[in-house]
Amino acid sequence: MADTLTSGPVPSRTAARPGTAAGPGVTAGRPAPDTAVTAPARGAAPSRRSRAARRLRAAGGLGKRSLAVGLLLALWEVLPRTGVVDRVFLPPVSEDLVAWYGLLRSGELLDHTQASLVRSLAGFGLAIVAAIPLGLLIGWYKPVAEFVSPVLELFRNTSPVALLPVFTLILGIGETSKVAFVFYACSWPILLNTISGVKTVDPLLIKSARSMGLSSIRLFQKVLLPAAVPTIFTGIRLAGAYSILVLLFAEMVGAKAGLGYLINAAQSSFRIYDMYAGIITISVIGLLFNQLLVHLERRFSTWRTT
Amino acid sequence: MTASSESRTGGTKIGIRGVSKVFQVRDSAEVFTAIEDVTLDVREGEFLTLVGPSGCGKSTLLDLVAGLAAPTSGEILLDGTRITGPGLDRGIVFQQYALFPWRTALANIEFGLEAKGVAKKERAEKARHYLDLVGLTGFDQRYPHELSGGMRQRVAIARSLAFDPDVLLMDEPFAALDAQTRESLQEELLSIWEKTGKTIIFITHGIDEAVYLGQRVAVMTSRPGRIKQVIGVEFDTREGDLRADPAFGEYRHQLWTLLRDEVAAARAQEVAGVG
Ligand SMILES: Nc1ncnc2c1ncn2[C@@H]1O[C@H](COP(=O)(O)OP(=O)(O)O)[C@@H](O)[C@H]1O
Ligand SMILES: [Mg+2]
Repeated sequence: MADTLTSGPVPSRTAARPGTAAGPGVTAGRPAPDTAVTAPARGAAPSRRSRAARRLRAAGGLGKRSLAVGLLLALWEVLPRTGVVDRVFLPPVSEDLVAWYGLLRSGELLDHTQASLVRSLAGFGLAIVAAIPLGLLIGWYKPVAEFVSPVLELFRNTSPVALLPVFTLILGIGETSKVAFVFYACSWPILLNTISGVKTVDPLLIKSARSMGLSSIRLFQKVLLPAAVPTIFTGIRLAGAYSILVLLFAEMVGAKAGLGYLINAAQSSFRIYDMYAGIITISVIGLLFNQLLVHLERRFSTWRTT
Repeated sequence: MTASSESRTGGTKIGIRGVSKVFQVRDSAEVFTAIEDVTLDVREGEFLTLVGPSGCGKSTLLDLVAGLAAPTSGEILLDGTRITGPGLDRGIVFQQYALFPWRTALANIEFGLEAKGVAKKERAEKARHYLDLVGLTGFDQRYPHELSGGMRQRVAIARSLAFDPDVLLMDEPFAALDAQTRESLQEELLSIWEKTGKTIIFITHGIDEAVYLGQRVAVMTSRPGRIKQVIGVEFDTREGDLRADPAFGEYRHQLWTLLRDEVAAARAQEVAGVG
């Protein structure tokens, strides 16, 4: 950790003597490897080098990951062809992709994808807008938190899926019902993470800020909120995964469009290729969406890497 | 201390008058007296160190001076006015640095200046000045996790100095650092104190540190904490290795003797399960 720097008190010594600037130049010149690696800050040369190194490492990681995926696809191709698995139920991936392309050309796939995305994103977006402020409020006011916590505990342990019939009962099987359902499911991880993000802020930071005479509002804005951001983003990332998961379920149970509907309808009318085309689409969308959210989460919590 | 620093110490800056602090023990009617009837004057521009067995209420006393808590009885005066809350006329430095991890070193130092309402441009200039003062020129864009313990504490000191408080309250600020880093920070703190003329209350559990830094050392009793004795520390010269000075050894021994009984008493309390 950063303690390795402590053992070399070079900046301290230099600084003790007035006139000698203990600048980054001095530090970078030292053979302490730590400084160069953990210095995204100033010295242009080392940081550019380390960025390149990072990219190279990332590329290597990508290679390894695509190898595993490639292997999976190869198995998917070979096993049905060699008869190890029944190709009626699991056609080779190449044939599924041909079917996928056919669905894409006909425009059918786009329609279903669009229907699903609109529902997912609407519910997800609404959850962000509603759950973050609510979570901040609950986390900030201890009495409120204590009051609602048994209810939160109850709902957090009730799978949203169990409540789908209730949504259908009250809101029907239209768009409102589905968006509301996604909204509901997405709200929990965001709400709970926001609350815990605010509640788990290091009390010493609050004390330190209070000692500088900050008002409650300023304290909230300048300490609690920034401290909670990484935890909130974790909640958002989880909610992103939920938004697709629960929507798919809702679409399978009752819908006239959407990828869940496509997959389910294709299965029941024995269009097995189309079913796999739908599955491939949803998994790619899920993957991309998650990658995007992971990326955002990292961006907003760089300082948490200790 | 040197003649110059002696002459600079003026009238009473902080007046602690018969201060007690009693905590309510959670979920019971019991009360817990942390400090009792503490009376102590700190002179303007003075460097006072405070020692005492652990749990005797040193941090509690500092919180009261900081205005983060109110005394149960007695009062604390700052420039003759009763302290009723925290303010930018006092700055605190904690053992655990308490830097905001999402802010760079520079932005951390700017924090108090923002609270003070200093304009943006001036803020950056001032912050840079204090970063230079603590010997961290060029580290402005580093995040706390990219700094060593010693560097973090330098940033924390710079942050407290930046909004220019009259009083610096330091709660075992160097306790978590290795010996080498601690010594160089002690030396720098003295030089900063000489340059800025701040009034400093410095808590430590190191006898050497107390003698090395303080113009006076206040010794507290075991809980409930009271002021047992205040010792004036003076050296003919601070040139060379002060810690090897025979006078240093005498002060050291004097403090050690005063503390020995208190530490034993504190340990007995702990064993008895009272503390
Ligand atoms: N907020 C509080 N509520 C209850 N007891 C406290 C509180 N703060 C401190 N104490 C108790 O007061 C005593 C003195 O604590 P402290 O001032 O931190 O001691 P020191 O800094 O000298 O080690 C300790 O026994 C501690 O447990
Ligand atoms: Mg303490």
